[in-house]
Amino acid sequence: MKPAPTLSSAFLESAGQSLPEALLELRKQRGTALVDMPLPTRKTENWKYSSKYLKLTDDMASTLPSEGKALSGQEVPGYRIVFLNGVIQPQASELPQVDGIRVASFRDLDDQEAAELADQLDNTLDDKAVQLARLNAARFEDGLLIRLQPDAVLDQPLFVIHEVTADASGSAFPRIFVDAGRHSQATLVEEYRSSGAEPVMVNTVTEFKLADGANITNVRLTMEGENVQHIGATGVRQQRNARFESHTVGFGGPLRRHDLQVRLEGEGGECKLNGVVVTQGKQHFDNHTTIEHVAAHCNSEETYRNIAADQSHAVFNGRIHIHQDAQKSNADMNNKNLLLSNGAEIDTKPELEIYADDVKCAHGATIGQLDEISLFYLVSRGIARREANVLLTMAFINELVEQIPLETVRETAHTRLNQFFDQTFQEV
Amino acid sequence: MLSIKNLHASVEGKEILKGINLEIKAGEVHAIMGPNGSGKSTLSQVLAGNEAFEVTEGEVTLNGENLLDLETEERAREGIFLAFQYPVEIPGVSNLQFLRTAVNAMRTHRGEEEMNAAEFMKLAKEVSKQVDLDPSFLKRGVNEGFSGGEKKRNEIMQALLLQPKLAILDETDSGLDIDALKVVSDGVNALRSEDRAILMVTHYQRLLNHIVPDYVHVLAGGKIIKSGGRELALELEEKGYGWLGIKDEETADSAAN
Repeated sequence: MKPAPTLSSAFLESAGQSLPEALLELRKQRGTALVDMPLPTRKTENWKYSSKYLKLTDDMASTLPSEGKALSGQEVPGYRIVFLNGVIQPQASELPQVDGIRVASFRDLDDQEAAELADQLDNTLDDKAVQLARLNAARFEDGLLIRLQPDAVLDQPLFVIHEVTADASGSAFPRIFVDAGRHSQATLVEEYRSSGAEPVMVNTVTEFKLADGANITNVRLTMEGENVQHIGATGVRQQRNARFESHTVGFGGPLRRHDLQVRLEGEGGECKLNGVVVTQGKQHFDNHTTIEHVAAHCNSEETYRNIAADQSHAVFNGRIHIHQDAQKSNADMNNKNLLLSNGAEIDTKPELEIYADDVKCAHGATIGQLDEISLFYLVSRGIARREANVLLTMAFINELVEQIPLETVRETAHTRLNQFFDQTFQEV
Repeated sequence: MLSIKNLHASVEGKEILKGINLEIKAGEVHAIMGPNGSGKSTLSQVLAGNEAFEVTEGEVTLNGENLLDLETEERAREGIFLAFQYPVEIPGVSNLQFLRTAVNAMRTHRGEEEMNAAEFMKLAKEVSKQVDLDPSFLKRGVNEGFSGGEKKRNEIMQALLLQPKLAILDETDSGLDIDALKVVSDGVNALRSEDRAILMVTHYQRLLNHIVPDYVHVLAGGKIIKSGGRELALELEEKGYGWLGIKDEETADSAAN
């Protein structure tokens, strides 16, 4: 048997040395562990539908430059952090100054803080399931640390703009770590953008640790260009009565992958995961989510919608794992899919593993097309066919878009959705 | 206004309409009656432009213009309105958004300015009162979770907002209790005018007690087999479709009960 391909050695060389010693050491360890890691192929279960889109050529291995570019993001009101190719740009950022809340670049940490962080980093995700996210730990050049002291409340959402400039091939490895103390609260918005046209990769990891009663909302907008491969992972660990809410809106690309893993480790924990994916042309998007009900009396609610037009390809894999001691778990997963053309493909797989006997679990997945009768009803009222298509497509995801807690984010999503509609539904 | 000549139509290769001839003038109210399966609903759907039905022969003109050449939305803008027998539920599109989009599509077609949200809201509230629908229905998804009667009132509300030249009412009385029937009939009667025609399709004549037609036609086997005045409906009520040599299981059943 032919051995599975592994990462080219070029990918395992970290260039920048601007991090504190403890983090450089962590990065080195993680890099060593990747040497023999097999790359996903179509035989790798969790990359079955997506490995063919993955292009890890050597020219992708270099780190994209993090200086000398005009920056966007200034239009974002309130607190914001701008990453350029994986490195925080302090001059473009507007850091919150709130008692009990520490927001800092990994590069600015003193030795003690860095050592503490190195101990905490990279233990929210299941390594085996997120092979390629592990690359981030071996390559990150910077990162955003957010520490919320007990009872601290971030009074406004914090926007993190991840900008990638693709004027040459290469990769960026942004990273975020959020340590939410007991009963703290914050909303974090991540927006992924790009400029330039060369093939590049964004490899990103965001981690959340929620202590008892912490309440975190995370919004994620994936909107890079047609030249950007996006491999992202979000890991969440929740203690007693902690609440985590995730809203993702993703637009397709040559490769788009998001792994979202939530562990409910304390009783009374709650998570709500909403996701919208829209693909067109030959685009791809793959969402893999895992919810681990480790402790008893936790609730999870997951709703994902995919819309695929043209020859695009969307994948949803939702796994719920109810551990043996997780009695009285409530888990509800729902995935609906809309195919807008005969050439589009959507693969969906709900997975339930239940080892406790007193639980309530429901899951459902459907794939359909726009309803002809609904379309006829709308046009029979004089509504243009294009408009009717847009109304019905929007109706499919509206409920989720409306739940995004910030108007500016909803507007950004609507603007991008309108571009999608313009390209998908021609004027008749 | 509407002229139908030798109209044949099929669905999935099966011929349903087998040569319909009908002339409707502005200001007139026509009722088409007939047993289930006679082609009543097919006629409504064909006139509105449902592409599931194929017109194989014949012609239909609206004020001299060939209707069959027009797309569904163009027919609507030219003044055809179909009140559906089974109005469609569209969760995720609010009734208000739907109605405003439709009204503005018509206004744009007529070269008028679109109504803004506030203007339209005012208008929609007035009209919803006319059909006894609480304005809260405007906020809900189109027909989403509406009762049968609420759906039918929503159809009439659309007719009142869109002010069509020809309103086709497909079994608008089905599923209505007596109070709802009254509300719906009042709405339809409010639509009656010199320059508008109404075509009612119905199985039973009870609707015709409330909306009195000028002409009644009996449709059976895809053809109009008898036409007359209002008294024809009463005669049918009394004698059943069997009187005209038509088999009608439903009528026979209800007579037996």
